[in-house]
Amino acid sequence: MPYLTMSGVRKRFGGVVALDGASFAAERGEVHALLGANGSGKSTLSKVLTGVVAPDEGRIEIDGQEVRIRGPQDTRKYRIAAVYQELSLIPQLTGMENILLAYEPANSLGFIDRKGLERAVLEVAARFEQALGRRIDLHRPVETLSPGDQQLIEAYKALARQPEILILDEATASLRQAEVEALFQVVRELRDKGALIIFISHRFQEVFALCDRATVLRNGQTVGTVDLAGVTEKDLVDMMVGRGAVSEVREAPTPPRDDVVLRVRGLCGPRLQGVSFELRAGEVLGLGGLQGQGQSELLRVLFGAEQASAGEIEVAGRRVVFRHPRDAVRHGLALVPGNRAREGLMLGRPILENLTIASMHRRRRGPGFLSARREKEAADGAVRSLGIKIGHLSGPASTLSGGNQQKIVVGKWLLNKPRIILMDDPTKGVDVGAKAELYRFIRELTQEGVSVILNSSENMELLGLSHRVLVMYEGAIADVLEGDDLNENRLVAAAMRVGRPA
Amino acid sequence: MGRPLNPVLIAFAIAVLLFVVGELVSPGFAAYSQIINVLRVSSFLGIIAAGQTLVILSGGEGVDLSVGAIVTFGAIVASRVIDGQDAMVLWGLAQALAAGLALGAVNGILIAYLKVPPLIMTLGMASVVKGLSLVYTKGQPSGRAAPIMVRLVSQETVFGIPGILWIWLALMVALTFILRQTTFGRSLYAIGANRQAAYLSGVPVKRMVVAVYSLSGLLSALGGFFFLGYTQSVFLNLGDRYVLPSVAAVVVGGTSLAGGAGGYVGTVVGSIVLTVLQSVLVTLRMEEAGRQIVYGIVLLALLAAYGRQYRLRQ
Repeated sequence: MPYLTMSGVRKRFGGVVALDGASFAAERGEVHALLGANGSGKSTLSKVLTGVVAPDEGRIEIDGQEVRIRGPQDTRKYRIAAVYQELSLIPQLTGMENILLAYEPANSLGFIDRKGLERAVLEVAARFEQALGRRIDLHRPVETLSPGDQQLIEAYKALARQPEILILDEATASLRQAEVEALFQVVRELRDKGALIIFISHRFQEVFALCDRATVLRNGQTVGTVDLAGVTEKDLVDMMVGRGAVSEVREAPTPPRDDVVLRVRGLCGPRLQGVSFELRAGEVLGLGGLQGQGQSELLRVLFGAEQASAGEIEVAGRRVVFRHPRDAVRHGLALVPGNRAREGLMLGRPILENLTIASMHRRRRGPGFLSARREKEAADGAVRSLGIKIGHLSGPASTLSGGNQQKIVVGKWLLNKPRIILMDDPTKGVDVGAKAELYRFIRELTQEGVSVILNSSENMELLGLSHRVLVMYEGAIADVLEGDDLNENRLVAAAMRVGRPA
Repeated sequence: MGRPLNPVLIAFAIAVLLFVVGELVSPGFAAYSQIINVLRVSSFLGIIAAGQTLVILSGGEGVDLSVGAIVTFGAIVASRVIDGQDAMVLWGLAQALAAGLALGAVNGILIAYLKVPPLIMTLGMASVVKGLSLVYTKGQPSGRAAPIMVRLVSQETVFGIPGILWIWLALMVALTFILRQTTFGRSLYAIGANRQAAYLSGVPVKRMVVAVYSLSGLLSALGGFFFLGYTQSVFLNLGDRYVLPSVAAVVVGGTSLAGGAGGYVGTVVGSIVLTVLQSVLVTLRMEEAGRQIVYGIVLLALLAAYGRQYRLRQ
């Protein structure tokens, strides 16, 4: 009887099925890896266990008892703690204050046992100090600490709870080698005391170094659980992708022309470490790899929304430096950002204004006068060519469905006749019909010679649309796939750096 | 559930209602000449609140609390330069406007580029400008309005309407046109509704913020210049009374404090509502304390009613 059993877990987010009857079982005294490609459901599954996500269906048993985990009270009761990649610290508070903030280990009278808690934190800190060979000052504001030390404070926070089940979800991403090893040492001690550790990481090397067994998820379902001693990286990739999976037959895209419209050399910047590539007219260049490897940052730097610290960008053969998105727009670039509501739309404003905002300067007269008729004609044109379903152009953009909202974001750029469109996961949260239309649209654009750089978390989308795929890993281009290599096995293997030193 | 009522229409209905109440309490309150008089008094608030409207529309917790001090400063500068001479009016106006524009630009630059919160920045600016006024006048404001300025405010023209009201009407038409039919207006609503999306659409957000606070300074100084025609001489707290009413007029006129929704016509109606309300309370012979309390309660009731409207809309 395993210590923890999850079975038949289902979760839908709107139209997207994140978990489709997934199961998971693990024992005390093991470090168990949870693996899967983008969107396989591993993060959702871990969040079900911490009560962050409420499953639609499913059964969780701990120590043979069925349990329900709804929030912090329950995780405290079952002694479940998690460390995520995203930090949850308050920058101005000290490490100790941050840690104490997360706990209310009240005694029966409801008082906070501050002394006891501080003791637990100091014990954890002492263990780390031993493993790390240096001390992290818990009485300094965390904003003055390095990102790695901040991440370790997060780990202290979870460990001070003396968890029976500890989840590490990409918790090593910002740690240096020595810090990773210290964390692993403490985790192993915890395991030897009989705790269960669930380890989620994109670094195979770490998985093999730390974990005993691995459970692989694919499309929200559990593929299987394996003993890591008996498998290779290649085997795991096969499980993640489906053994011998062949990519869907691709509609042969129009071959790109020879002229290079964008050339990038040695681009460094926020999360980018020396990115170089060329983009041809009419080409769809995919950005693949695991999510969060610098794909979005690359698009933002190309668009002038973030500044590069080094490197060169050439548009149509001329060296450019974009200080503001406006500069990029003038050079024929467009960005369909990753977060529609936050970055793409003015939800409260009329559809017409959302469609015309990026191109109105082309239609202005004199110092900036706009003709109501011409603005409406322009907006109507975009609505027609994209088949956007709207009530009235004066209605607010917030009233539209996700797919139609995304078409508005694309449509506003079409009115500007861009040469290069940067798309950051454009079909996220978009229904199937609108997705197909966006695909058709991307193909039409490339036929006209427009180039697209497409970041997508959906492998099939990337493989089906791109002429080439740049696989990114920790801010650099790890691999370039084209021709026969454009299949899911190669893509996932490249994303996980199989057969290469990490 | 039908279409929610337009806040501008609600405010307009309230203004009419207040005139009716006034007429019932004191016959003659809603006589033509009285209405014109109330509108005349409203016009100063309305012109000062024009800049406030732009600032609040621009979002980013935008508010300009330095309008009162800049109104005073504009009036002080104009009064000293003009000193009762019609020939000096344009020169005095130009200097007052330049001063207002410059002070507003400082607000805008520090808010946009140094990320000083608007509330803090403009509150600090109000204090600095008051200090400047003292230095400039050495505590003794000098000069007076020119006769032509007095006539502009008090002398009746066509339909018994004084010149200031025609100017206010022109400002309303011009500003409404700018908001609706120019790239500036569209950019303003865009940065108010979603700064990030506007930025990623190529809108120069920071330059817009500087422009908006500069215009607010300019319009405050303009308000000060016209108000000088009403008071004829200056005093050091001339504009103080307009600070919070300028914000209230914008909000009563249906412009969202969060930015990105509303317009100047609403502010015009809002200015009238606030002025008529004051005047009705005076007509009721209410004590100053009572007036303040009722004024505050009416404001709260109005805003609560709008809040309900917005909720219904969701």
